[in-house]
Amino acid sequence: MGSLLAIYAFDELWNLSNIVRYGLMSLQHRGAQNFVVCIPGERVKCLHSENIDEVSRGASKNVALAVIGNDSDNMLIEVDDSGVVAIASERSWDGASRALQALSNAFSNGGDPVTSFISTLNRVSDDVAPSMAVLTKRGELVIWRSPSSFSPLVLGSYGFDMAIVSSESVAIDILGGDVKRFLKPGEGIYIAKYIVKHFTAGVSEHRGLCTFELLYLARHDAIVDGVSVYEFRKHLGRELAKYLESDVDVVVGVPETALPYAIGFAEVIKKPFEMAFMATGGRRRSMLFSDPFEKIVSIHLKMNPIRGVLEGKRVALVDDSMVTGSTIKTVSQILRFRVGVPEVHLFIASPPLIMPCPFSVLRLDMKGLLAANLSQSLARDYLEVDSLHWLSKEDVDRVASRFGLKLCGKCFGVDFFGCRK
Amino acid sequence: MKVLLIGSGGREHALAKLIRRSVLEPRLFVAMDYRNPGLEKESVETGGKMFIVNTVSAKDVANVAEEVSPDLVVVGPEEPQFHGVTDVLRERGYIVFGASSRCAEVEKSKVFARSLMWKHDIYGRLYFKAFTSIEEARKFIEFAGDVVIKPARQAGGKGVKVLRDTQAYLSRDRAEVKKTYIEKLFSEMEGYRDIDYKIIVEQRVEGVEYTSMIITDGDTILPLPLVQDHPHAFEFDIGPETGGMGSIQGPGWILPFITREEFGKTVEVVSQVLKALQSEVREKYVGAFAGQMMLTGIWGPTVIEFYSRFGDPEMSNLVPIVASDFLEILDKAARRKLAGAKLDIDEDRVTIVKAIAPAGYPDNRRIAAGHPIHVDEGGVRELGCEVLYASVELLANGVMYTKGSRVFEIVCSSDNYDDAYERIEKAITYVKSLDGWPLFYRSDIGSRELLNDRIRAAERVRTIYGSRSRRGLLGKVLMWVPGEGVSDNPLIGFVR
Repeated sequence: MGSLLAIYAFDELWNLSNIVRYGLMSLQHRGAQNFVVCIPGERVKCLHSENIDEVSRGASKNVALAVIGNDSDNMLIEVDDSGVVAIASERSWDGASRALQALSNAFSNGGDPVTSFISTLNRVSDDVAPSMAVLTKRGELVIWRSPSSFSPLVLGSYGFDMAIVSSESVAIDILGGDVKRFLKPGEGIYIAKYIVKHFTAGVSEHRGLCTFELLYLARHDAIVDGVSVYEFRKHLGRELAKYLESDVDVVVGVPETALPYAIGFAEVIKKPFEMAFMATGGRRRSMLFSDPFEKIVSIHLKMNPIRGVLEGKRVALVDDSMVTGSTIKTVSQILRFRVGVPEVHLFIASPPLIMPCPFSVLRLDMKGLLAANLSQSLARDYLEVDSLHWLSKEDVDRVASRFGLKLCGKCFGVDFFGCRK
Repeated sequence: MKVLLIGSGGREHALAKLIRRSVLEPRLFVAMDYRNPGLEKESVETGGKMFIVNTVSAKDVANVAEEVSPDLVVVGPEEPQFHGVTDVLRERGYIVFGASSRCAEVEKSKVFARSLMWKHDIYGRLYFKAFTSIEEARKFIEFAGDVVIKPARQAGGKGVKVLRDTQAYLSRDRAEVKKTYIEKLFSEMEGYRDIDYKIIVEQRVEGVEYTSMIITDGDTILPLPLVQDHPHAFEFDIGPETGGMGSIQGPGWILPFITREEFGKTVEVVSQVLKALQSEVREKYVGAFAGQMMLTGIWGPTVIEFYSRFGDPEMSNLVPIVASDFLEILDKAARRKLAGAKLDIDEDRVTIVKAIAPAGYPDNRRIAAGHPIHVDEGGVRELGCEVLYASVELLANGVMYTKGSRVFEIVCSSDNYDDAYERIEKAITYVKSLDGWPLFYRSDIGSRELLNDRIRAAERVRTIYGSRSRRGLLGKVLMWVPGEGVSDNPLIGFVR
């Protein structure tokens, strides 16, 4: 999955290099293994790199389109041979090259850009098209949130000077802008020097946001489709508290996504929430690594324990989700062998993951899913936890509805959580 | 009664519609810069006449007045005021509604207006620094922080750069833009010979904007209901600043996001400025006066700038709701007999105004001009709405052409925003470009969503200024430079 960032400065005196740089930095948690930045010119020019500084230096004009991807082999940005357009897609899809060709023709023939975009979508099958951002060599942008996309798109502005579109609201905050609209599924926006057009395209039903967008991917400070991610997480933590069966002394969250869940949990059971681990070398998103070795390295780097507070205490350990259990296994080992806690009660703020993702948003290998392969008691023993609790599907459904969200729940064994609008 | 209206745009068309309704049976004569078909129609239907003249030429306008010999002259726009049109007409003995050139200085010179507020210690004033020379400005801008850069003279609502600079990591980039921009703005301002200061740098504030208009004869003040304009060119408050892409009003005297107390405070500020202005220029202010306000965390009601005339498109919102005889009020004000006059409005109604503009507006009016355009006025009327003609010219071939600015304003009113919104969105579809040149308007204006956003934003701001008020900090922005002391200068930035 890729994340999109497009910036349009209406005044040509802006050089966006540094602005793109900080924008990308603010989206790094969404998976930071490769970056692409495209700018207009005689032909659209794109720079690829694993280094933010390298790509953002190239964004020296007043318009830029950037993508953050997870896999270096994944071509999320494609430019046609004549350099008329670049299309950035949030995931790779079969229709990409046909769409590229069609748009390249349409834009070289000088038709109405919005009409061309919509008719291209219709021709190339709008059913599977991901959210996209198109940059033309003339410096126009077309950005569209697909109904079949699982991630949000947010439109923001900076004074009278810029329009900013991003997969997550934090980029707009970090660039000093104001969030103006959470694009709805099917909504798009065309931005050019003298005209901005808001349009709707794509007829397929909204598939819902990926549950992991709210559970794990977005930053705590993000607002997703109008919902505060932090509030949502805290609320799930509160729900989870009802599963507490035995006394605990402290509540601990697995860093750093699970902290708000643990705070909500601690609030309800009226026990102290404690910091338990310190990370080394900045924030790393362990779940987004596909290489198992890289993944375990990033887990280990996050988990140096703060010893004094936890020693001898009965711990309620809260995490947002459990895929393979390798993080929890690591944490429980550290809590027991390096800190010396007598009891670890594990609380997972989502239901058991039992299916691979049919849309490849998350790479979940059926063989590796703990909940799909291990019985509850075997899981407890393997993880060395005294008890193991999950939120039920009904719990998540209720919370999602309360926040007005529709979430895809395929990997949890349901079609949707929340509003079925 | 013979009324001579000066001006060519949507505001004048709104005024014409209001004036026509009077029991004084006005014959409407209009002096305009181009053949605005809406104004032409109003004048012909009332048995008056139109004159195509250079409305900023006092001589040309005086000639028209001589031919018409009007009972009342109403000066719509600011530029004729700046150029002394009002003064010359009064000198020649006409009864004129409109600010004199000296009073209009409050709009023309942003430095004059700001200084006035500081000199008289008026609530809602912002910090500023103004420059006559580029060298001075260059030196200052090196250290400027969270500021707005504006032309120091009223320049048609253009040229304002709002540069939020609260993040040191992007400060250098913004500093670069500031530097390049002042060079550009200075060279653009060279064209104005009627002002000393070229650029003004102001403290940046954020919040919810609204316009407070009044009618005055210099002693009595008649406030008009609050209106909110939408300056960004494009939907969702995106894109360059325009003269206003549409406005909302009501229900009643306030807006859904402004309280009665805030309205009261605003009128108080506007009245104080008016008083200070009159004592400064030693003249009575006769005409329309307005504060472009913003509800901010720094002050609550805060002055962004002043208009020495009715707002455009704000004036259009009044067309469906004014219940009083508007001409009578204008006439009383012009004769300095406004005491005791009352303005009644239909307090149960709300109004939405939307402007339609050709692509190119506001930054490239050259490409925006000269496109044939049509509006099905009957269709708009059937929806219970009205069309006001603005920057559009009827040529001899019977076809209307764009002049480069906002072409039409559509006005719809109802007892609720949802219904007015629904009808205005339909009404917009009756405007058609005849050569395929793209037109744009803002569908978000008047929508429930945008209204709710404004209510939320105002609530946030209210929390801030409420707590600052309790702690006696309204208007204050203290900066501490270690070694130099604490000062009250919010214009200085991170880059030293």
